[in-house]
Amino acid sequence: MLADQDKDPFEERLAAALHETGGGFDTDRTALAARGAVRGRRKRFVRRAAVAGGTASVVLACVGGALVLRPGGTATEAVPSSPTASAEPKPSATAPPATAKQMIGTLKKLLPKGDFSEERGRGTEPTDDLKVPAPYAGLVFDDGHGAAAVEVSVGRVQPGSTEARQATQCPDRVYTPYDACRTSRLADSSVVTVLQRYEYPDRRVDTKLWTAELVTPTGQHISVSEWNAAAEKDKPVTRTDPPLDPAQLTRLAAAKEWRTVADALPEPLPEPELPGSALHARTDLLALLPKGLKVTDKSSDDGDFAYAVVDDGKGRSLVQVNVQPDMLDAAGDLFGSGSETLPDGTRVAVKQGPGDRGHQVMWTVDTMRADGRRVVISAFNAGTQNEPATREAPALTIAQMRTMALDARWWSGS
Amino acid sequence: MRQARADEYAEFAAARAGHLYRSACLLTAGDTHLAEDLVQEALGRIYVRWSRISGIGNPAAYAQTVLVRVFLTHQRRRSSKERATDVLPDVAVAGVDTPLRLTLLDALARLPAKDRAVVVLRYWEDRSIEETAGVLNASAAAVRTRCTRALKQLRGLLGEDIGAYARP
Repeated sequence: MLADQDKDPFEERLAAALHETGGGFDTDRTALAARGAVRGRRKRFVRRAAVAGGTASVVLACVGGALVLRPGGTATEAVPSSPTASAEPKPSATAPPATAKQMIGTLKKLLPKGDFSEERGRGTEPTDDLKVPAPYAGLVFDDGHGAAAVEVSVGRVQPGSTEARQATQCPDRVYTPYDACRTSRLADSSVVTVLQRYEYPDRRVDTKLWTAELVTPTGQHISVSEWNAAAEKDKPVTRTDPPLDPAQLTRLAAAKEWRTVADALPEPLPEPELPGSALHARTDLLALLPKGLKVTDKSSDDGDFAYAVVDDGKGRSLVQVNVQPDMLDAAGDLFGSGSETLPDGTRVAVKQGPGDRGHQVMWTVDTMRADGRRVVISAFNAGTQNEPATREAPALTIAQMRTMALDARWWSGS
Repeated sequence: MRQARADEYAEFAAARAGHLYRSACLLTAGDTHLAEDLVQEALGRIYVRWSRISGIGNPAAYAQTVLVRVFLTHQRRRSSKERATDVLPDVAVAGVDTPLRLTLLDALARLPAKDRAVVVLRYWEDRSIEETAGVLNASAAAVRTRCTRALKQLRGLLGEDIGAYARP
């Protein structure tokens, strides 16, 4: 509301008119969100390629030096391996392209008997908004026991890359509650993970989302999702469970047809080191936690983000940290009035507010050094962000969080 | 992106895309194609920085800020000096075009881009002068000046009784 001045009737009418007009615009939000993610992935690829490009030119300089000393060296091998050469994805064309219609046809063929409606899809050709093609097929499937949305998408990942590994990893239960998650290896050495979770992590609606993520040894990535509702969001639950059981879901993901689609896609870009990968937030968080706290759960990876669930005997408390090297551009948004500036220029902001769930509180100590290096620690009075409060206050005091956040250890070796 | 983060981002994007799109439609004075593009660009930027953004207090407000900045950057690229949109965009809106909608979008299109951003932030987003100034990297005084100027212009274009167009 406009609290900072007396409202003029024209301003009120203008606000009402904007809301009426603005509210009249609508679009396919799911598609828009998906296209945003695709654009983000492209940006990340470009950024990674740029980082790799920097590294590659150093490598090439060395190779060049070696050439002078050793004619007939490895220059011809080194050049094609330079990631700058593949900053734009190149078609590998080991398979013919698939159209949207073929994608939908394949999905219908592979599903059990039933009625199909609301069919949609995309083929393997790049489009104006998708420079990296992202084929998928989706439809509403009814086997007689209730309409359910089913979607398959096909992509490629670098075999052995972090992305390939993470695609088939069961998520952290602290952030994504689920009923079951099982990873198995198929006869052809593909890895498949079937995850039975919920569309909304807080389960405000009990829409179930079951997925199968399959990655083959050559990096073909097939992702199948199904719901017990006719759409992923905003449609009522139509049945107890999604239509395909885990075994059927696995078979659908493993179908050879999708592999051919993946082969029509450009080769994925190599995965260089991401900036911030020299960070070790998990190790540091565990080292800096005050003595006397029992750690009952912790993140599995080291890097720029970590969490630990601690217990001081009075209940579980989630503590999470983000360590970010280059955040000066966000300083204005993060450190407003009420923040403190230390003599060395480090800014500190403390926030004690409500969390996501009933009676949950979230305490945050945000710090940024003068050069933009940010450490932000949050603590909750619950073991996850998705469950109600388990205790009055987080297990750490603001003073303890502040001491931890300002520790130089986060940046050692980075 | 770690799976948990990717899920978190996907849920955030799905939940916010509609509102971002509506904001973008007002910012672009009804150019729905440009609005879609701006939202995609804003969501793309948020995707890249999600691990940072998800840690801050209000990602939804941050997303709006990114959208407005993407819009202003787009406008700057289009024209080296600030000016009102002289060629009115194609207003392609699902549903019936009410007189209010057409008149309002037409009036918004006549404002300079930055003034339009001020109007959208103040009266659609309900942001305070200070918050608006933060989003636009401008002083509060500059926002007040723009706001006064834009209101005066809109009054002239829409008439004091803007509600006469509104549905009862």
